[in-house]
Amino acid sequence: MNAAVNDPVAPSTGAEPASGAVPAVSVEDLAYRYGDVEAVRGITFEILPGEVFGFLGPNGAGKTTTIRMLTGQLKPYAGTARILGRVVGRDDPETQAHIGVCFEEKNLYDSMSAEENLRFFASLFGIRDLDAGELLRRVGLGDRGKDRVSTYSKGMRQRLMVARALVNRPMVLFLDEPTDGLDPVSSKAIRAIIRDEADRGAAVLLTTHDMWEADELSDRVAFINDGRIYATDTPENLKLRYGKRSVKVRLRDGGAIREETVPLDDPAAGERLRSAVQAEGLMTIHTEESTLENIFVEMTGRALEA
Amino acid sequence: MNVLLSLKVLLKDLRLGPRSPIFLWAIVFPVVGTLLVQLVFGSLFAPKPRLGIVDQGDSAITAGMRDLEGIQLTLVASPGELTELVRDHNLDAGLILPAGFDEQVRSGAQPVLEFYVSGESLASDRLILAVTTLDLVRAVEGSPAPVQVDVVAMGAPLLPMAARLTPMLVLFALLIAGVFVPAFSLVQEREAGTLTAMLVTPVRATDVLAAKAVLGFALALLMALVTLWLNDALGNEPAALLLAVGVGAIMLAEIGLVYGSASPDAKTLFTLMKSLNIILFAPVIFYIFPDWPQWIAQIFPTYWVINPIFEVAIRDASLGDVAGQLTIALILSALLIPVIVVLSRRMQARLAAA
Repeated sequence: MNAAVNDPVAPSTGAEPASGAVPAVSVEDLAYRYGDVEAVRGITFEILPGEVFGFLGPNGAGKTTTIRMLTGQLKPYAGTARILGRVVGRDDPETQAHIGVCFEEKNLYDSMSAEENLRFFASLFGIRDLDAGELLRRVGLGDRGKDRVSTYSKGMRQRLMVARALVNRPMVLFLDEPTDGLDPVSSKAIRAIIRDEADRGAAVLLTTHDMWEADELSDRVAFINDGRIYATDTPENLKLRYGKRSVKVRLRDGGAIREETVPLDDPAAGERLRSAVQAEGLMTIHTEESTLENIFVEMTGRALEA
Repeated sequence: MNVLLSLKVLLKDLRLGPRSPIFLWAIVFPVVGTLLVQLVFGSLFAPKPRLGIVDQGDSAITAGMRDLEGIQLTLVASPGELTELVRDHNLDAGLILPAGFDEQVRSGAQPVLEFYVSGESLASDRLILAVTTLDLVRAVEGSPAPVQVDVVAMGAPLLPMAARLTPMLVLFALLIAGVFVPAFSLVQEREAGTLTAMLVTPVRATDVLAAKAVLGFALALLMALVTLWLNDALGNEPAALLLAVGVGAIMLAEIGLVYGSASPDAKTLFTLMKSLNIILFAPVIFYIFPDWPQWIAQIFPTYWVINPIFEVAIRDASLGDVAGQLTIALILSALLIPVIVVLSRRMQARLAAA
């Protein structure tokens, strides 16, 4: 089933999709190379219907190449990918009829209005009765539907990109950095839409290097770096498994302030904490949890913004 | 290929067309080009001499004037109206032919012929009208000309420059509409990323290319015919002309796809056009310089589409006369198809890897 770990360095036994459910996306040993450069090196994962799968990694990690293979733009060098049980090939209209893609690049028709853009792309899926107004209202563009896209701000274009990915009510949604560069209000609106789509039953592959967003939205995440998946699990399990749980204690020691970090995995942690709490100079006690970002950096040795 | 999807892409391109400068230029150019050529070499501002006649007796002179293509004849009802038209320079000259004028001339009498000229008319027009009138009077009289004029043509018989420039205008129209419009449309889609956006829907690259080709073909066909019409060069065989122009539009639309799919961006497309358009355009130069060895023109592929158009439109050739040339053009067009297939595959691979 889902090989939760592709990296020999950091094996994981984290949560897998619920057994028995048919995955909407199934990837096995998928690989791609640009000339001599191996962009994706034999990755394996699955995404269930209704699941948001966070695909986390820095720029150049292999996220976009993976999406390109899954959406039929690139033919895999090795391995197989299935969308809704169908092996993905290059140019597969049957599969592409059921997917929605929100690109990182803002590739809209600038000289067309938002409604024209949505209607045109809906028509390519054979949809004639698209309620473009309703879709635009969902992304907060209800009052700008008739305006040309060339007059839109970056955030408005991004919201329109998300709306376009939804014109065919896709069963599998690929979102490549959908909130990149958005203001907090727009980001929140987009995150709500992603959650709604998953609740509707769509499988969502979300690539991001925003770990907070991934933590908030994803049912499971995969850490990808240098074309390899290092770990796949729920954010909670990853933090439990790889995070350093500790308590930071600040004490007044004579005239100076002393900080002490007590690792909870330390067998003597209980005794150390008890004595710290009982100490006269106790100032503050803070629990410290690892973030996904900390774990990613620890596992891959690479920062996400790189 | 999915015809329905191609049609949807084509309709989108047609909707976007009027917002594209290249599309507008393809429509405006034939009119502007024709006006320029007619202004410099043609008769745009050199109209035919205008003669008005009041014929009170069904004169043979009126009939003779009517048969002359170089004179614009107006029959006027009354002498008063005629003099008014001449005075106001609505006519260059006016002639009143009284009843029985022809009989009087034939009988040897010397009737008075009133010939009015407008003060604003050109001396050349007055001269043409006066000499023509005298010639016709002599013809009515039936007497031989006092001298025999021997006309000697100097140099090879040539078509007027305006007619020799018509292939250039037609090829320009075909080139802009058939090559530039689909090529730019395709490159714009690549640069904007909208082509990639389409290719993750059920649309295939072949659907998009077919839509661009049909756009180029239809626009090239239309604008070439408009150019021929503006240049009064529609020939005598409409079906042959339509076929010849249609074959030309097919080949140039295919070349448009070659350019478009070979160019990753507008800069490369411009470079490609600057380097290769001379090859496409070269054959029409041979019409302008008929002294050059004409066989050289046949080296260039577009010769095989522009020459049949020229022959049918200007020289009144029939379909049979140009069938061989059109067959060569169709073979060349067929040879372009595998080139387009290879380039479009490479284009897709580049798009995905970008």
